[in-house]
Amino acid sequence: MDSEMTLRLERLLEQVARPARYTGGEVNEVKKDPVPGQTRFCFAFPDTYEVAMSHLGMKVLYDAVNREADLSCERVMMPWPDMMDGMKAAGIPLLSLETRTPLSGFDAVGFTLQYEMSYTNILAMLELGGIPLLGADRNETDPVIIAGGPCAFNPEPLAPFIDAFLMGDGEAATPEMLRAIGLCRRSGRSREEVLRCLADVPGVYVPRFYAPQYNENGCLTAFSPAVPGVPAAVRKRVELDLDQAVFPESIPVPFTEAVHDRIVLEIMRGCTRGCRFCQAGMVYRPVRERSTEKLLRLAEKLVASTGYEEMSLSSLSTGDYSGLLELIRGLNERFSEKRVSLSLPSLRIDGELREALKDSAQVKKSGLTLAPEAGTQRLRDVINKGVTEEDLLRTVTEAFLSGWDSVKLYFMIGLPTETDEDLLGIAGLARKVVGCYYALPKGKRARGVKVSVSASTFVPKPFTPFQWEGQDSLEEIRRKQALLRGALNIRGVTFNWHDPELSFLEACFARGDRRLGRVLARAYALGCRLDGWQEHFSFDRWMQAFNEEGIDPAFYASRGRGKDELLPWDFIDIGVTKDYLWLEKRRAENAQTTPDCRQGCEGCGLRRFEGVCRA
Amino acid sequence: MKMLVVFEKKGLMRFIGHLDLQRAMQRALRRGDLPVEYSQGFNPHLLLSFAAPLSVGVIGEKEIMEVPLRERIEEETFLSRINSVLPDGLKALRVRSLPDDHPAAMAGLFAAQYLIQPQGDWAPLPSRVPDFLKQDSIPYLRRTKSGEKMDDLRPMLYNLIPRENGLMATLALHEQGTAKPEALIKALADFAGVTVPPCLVTRLQLLDRRFAPLEDA
Repeated sequence: MDSEMTLRLERLLEQVARPARYTGGEVNEVKKDPVPGQTRFCFAFPDTYEVAMSHLGMKVLYDAVNREADLSCERVMMPWPDMMDGMKAAGIPLLSLETRTPLSGFDAVGFTLQYEMSYTNILAMLELGGIPLLGADRNETDPVIIAGGPCAFNPEPLAPFIDAFLMGDGEAATPEMLRAIGLCRRSGRSREEVLRCLADVPGVYVPRFYAPQYNENGCLTAFSPAVPGVPAAVRKRVELDLDQAVFPESIPVPFTEAVHDRIVLEIMRGCTRGCRFCQAGMVYRPVRERSTEKLLRLAEKLVASTGYEEMSLSSLSTGDYSGLLELIRGLNERFSEKRVSLSLPSLRIDGELREALKDSAQVKKSGLTLAPEAGTQRLRDVINKGVTEEDLLRTVTEAFLSGWDSVKLYFMIGLPTETDEDLLGIAGLARKVVGCYYALPKGKRARGVKVSVSASTFVPKPFTPFQWEGQDSLEEIRRKQALLRGALNIRGVTFNWHDPELSFLEACFARGDRRLGRVLARAYALGCRLDGWQEHFSFDRWMQAFNEEGIDPAFYASRGRGKDELLPWDFIDIGVTKDYLWLEKRRAENAQTTPDCRQGCEGCGLRRFEGVCRA
Repeated sequence: MKMLVVFEKKGLMRFIGHLDLQRAMQRALRRGDLPVEYSQGFNPHLLLSFAAPLSVGVIGEKEIMEVPLRERIEEETFLSRINSVLPDGLKALRVRSLPDDHPAAMAGLFAAQYLIQPQGDWAPLPSRVPDFLKQDSIPYLRRTKSGEKMDDLRPMLYNLIPRENGLMATLALHEQGTAKPEALIKALADFAGVTVPPCLVTRLQLLDRRFAPLEDA
């Protein structure tokens, strides 16, 4: 970057809100000197800095790549509109935080796909970074654009824009991909050849080498390799041993506060509970724990290297971690002197754990969050959420006894088979929770109680037993929200609900196919970006985009699929089989539950992956 | 016991806000394993006090913070340890250990000296300074929490000297009044009849009532 542009950038930084989002230079930032033969990678987070710096996956991959002498990893995020417009006006391209290199100057740029509604940000970042939006328009000097993360499990709506997707765990796979890219580029291969090499890396999907076919109804009928040698089924990557997998001992510490600004320890990956709406519960199987000793060692190094005053534990189901008590005691022993507080996610607080928590005043008593997801036992059985009302009310009572005064209850509306009775059950449950508080004698409870009920709209996701279900129409969701608003008019209870229009678009893109790429490009051209931020979201513009492309969003969001329909993500092998998911769907229809598979193998299909299942 | 720390905030660090600076200092003190005193109570935290917050974008050459300590530590040890863990752009220049009952630096603060460096063409400004200073009052619109308010800049402007690389100004920074360098440059530009140039502002030092460096008080 020349000095003249540096000046323009500094001038701009003086004018925008929260400029520290764009400067880098944080403690523990890794700034490598470029050396010949080094492959330069930029990790791109398609949301703001505050969101990005809360994300553990970015910090893990940043470390995994920067540990390698022949690779380097820098970071870039989505600028806020004031910065975005300022950069465009000043002719400044999107730059990496570390070395202020334009995005177009890297060998590879990798987007993490955490949320469907961040897709327009990817296009905005590519454009500002000086990279052609469409893979087909890129040449040999343009970076290779890769992507991974949970939404990569249905990559098709992004197929026109992303050169290669990684399915599954990225710790080992990301450096492998970057080496393949670097090696090919340095030996002067064509773009096509670079991508062909990438397709040979296990877990990698290169969309241009596959061709979909549709019937007259618009349904997918075939999806197969268009070039010889690429795999017909792409199997996800799995880190078998989390103690061996890379985990950072130091992480960049943002100056400007991130949404979650603390040390995060990933204690476990995967979940065996089998909630039928939950994509993470299926795609991250099998369950793998990181050992308590390893975690305590990592915690010590992270506290020393960052100076953070807060730590949290991360997993899909922290209460299931087998060494939880030992871990919490170990963390308290080491850090209570240093005033490092531990924030725990919502989990069952049983007797023993309550004792461990009591030992330490360092555990933050933030609100208790519980997710019954549905209002009646019947519907909880349908979704296989193994929580009974009795469990829930006991947990809440324990919490009130331990001094908590606020409880958040998360529900979904629009779940398969849902009736108005199920919805009214949400209000009934909220009433009982308030009742638990008033049942305690005055001296034993906090003063005043706050119960907040949040209802999101159910979005059917790929690789779940509900992947065939239609989403409720917008009118139906609005009717259900209104019904709940009336029923939840209870003293001490507040009710929050999500914008159903956003959930409708999520449903389109979650199960979309390659044709939706046109809608995405059109929506971006019409000005859509930062769709996850309410002040920037425009449903009308999105509907205009669907309209102009002649694509019916209801085909993707609202339509139920049949057992035999080929789904756009069927070519990905996550371990769990389509037959098993269908079996689970049938059980759901009969409100028949499936036990946690640690009590016995349910035959989900993961055993085909050698050595991965501990059950 | 407490430690008075004189530090600079420059480079990229001029873009971090006051709350960000507080957090950055707290975390550095923790990384350096310095014997700081925490507050009592449910959420114990470090009680740092800064003499005066610095606006985002402004460089600070001699900023001041006070760190309460729970045990004695040599000044040189403190200085070298904190500097080994501070990010680029933040640097402790000197430290002074003081008894707990020593008056807080903030209490003695009266003014600050700034170097204002206009970017681009500012040739007409220096020659207008003498006349500008001859005014009995310099009305200006001051932004407050509740909106805008007319105020007089003149009694809060203690001196203004054109230098080769910019304008050196001493402005009030106390409870009765605070004037910002941005307001001064706007008033001067208006007076000279030119558009307000963008400026790089450096706070050179904090001063007490005698216009002596605050850190020596």
